[in-house]
Amino acid sequence: MTLSVALGPDTQEGTRTGTAEATDSLTAPDIPWNLVIWNDPVNLMSYVSYVFQSYFGYSESKANKLMMEVHRKGRSIVAHGSKEQVERHAVAMHGFGLWATVEKASGGPGGNSGKSGGPGQGKGKRG
Amino acid sequence: MLQPEERAGQDPLAALIGLDMDVAEPTDRAVKRLLPNVVKDDGAASLEFRQLTERSLRETKIGALRAAALDLDKDEIVLTPEGAKHWSMALNDVRLVLAERLDIRDEEDAEHVHLMQDWSQAEDVESYLALVYNFATWLQESLVQAMLQSLETRR
Repeated sequence: MTLSVALGPDTQEGTRTGTAEATDSLTAPDIPWNLVIWNDPVNLMSYVSYVFQSYFGYSESKANKLMMEVHRKGRSIVAHGSKEQVERHAVAMHGFGLWATVEKASGGPGGNSGKSGGPGQGKGKRG
Repeated sequence: MLQPEERAGQDPLAALIGLDMDVAEPTDRAVKRLLPNVVKDDGAASLEFRQLTERSLRETKIGALRAAALDLDKDEIVLTPEGAKHWSMALNDVRLVLAERLDIRDEEDAEHVHLMQDWSQAEDVESYLALVYNFATWLQESLVQAMLQSLETRR
């Protein structure tokens, strides 16, 4: 992401969310899919935070924390849910121009072992 | 660039519900950035998703670009919250395309392009594109700051 002429949002390092709140939503075993946002050198930090706040309804501090995670670590899991839910989010993110992918929660780095299943699962025809 | 190709003999029902079995992963890097694969390293799953969603995604993007283009014909532009959202999306897509054409691959490239601020130094296509990119960046940043402030006051 890029920081432009106008001042970007605070990084909120001082108010980092404690683990208690994070684990609460991250380890629910019945929510097996993640929505991942990837870093790129074009999208403005302010715009990414705006999208997280306006689309997901996240607080300013949560949106900025996720935005900084994308910026520093290259990617961040910003939402969980059923396959259909995260795919709907992904299309919305692509509409905003953010680079979003979906993955099984047990899959990529930072994920957790939800329902275990082979890589072929979850690709069935929909609708 | 985003307008889907018109084809004869297309299934009208499929077109109506936004289904498109003839889509393919874009070969142009800029188009691929606008319409990215939804599953990393899984072309087949991404293609299936494209068939179901790409047409409506293109329409969303074209809608925002058209709305912004229509505003440009006005003497004075006053944006509603919905209009501001369309403008921010349109400016973002314009910047994504310009960034691909300018070969911005990392933060260092972005900083290099950002140095180009002087219109009198625009001598070739690349430096001209860089100026337009920087102007669009400034415009989007200013707009988004105003949008963030109005989100705050609504809370």
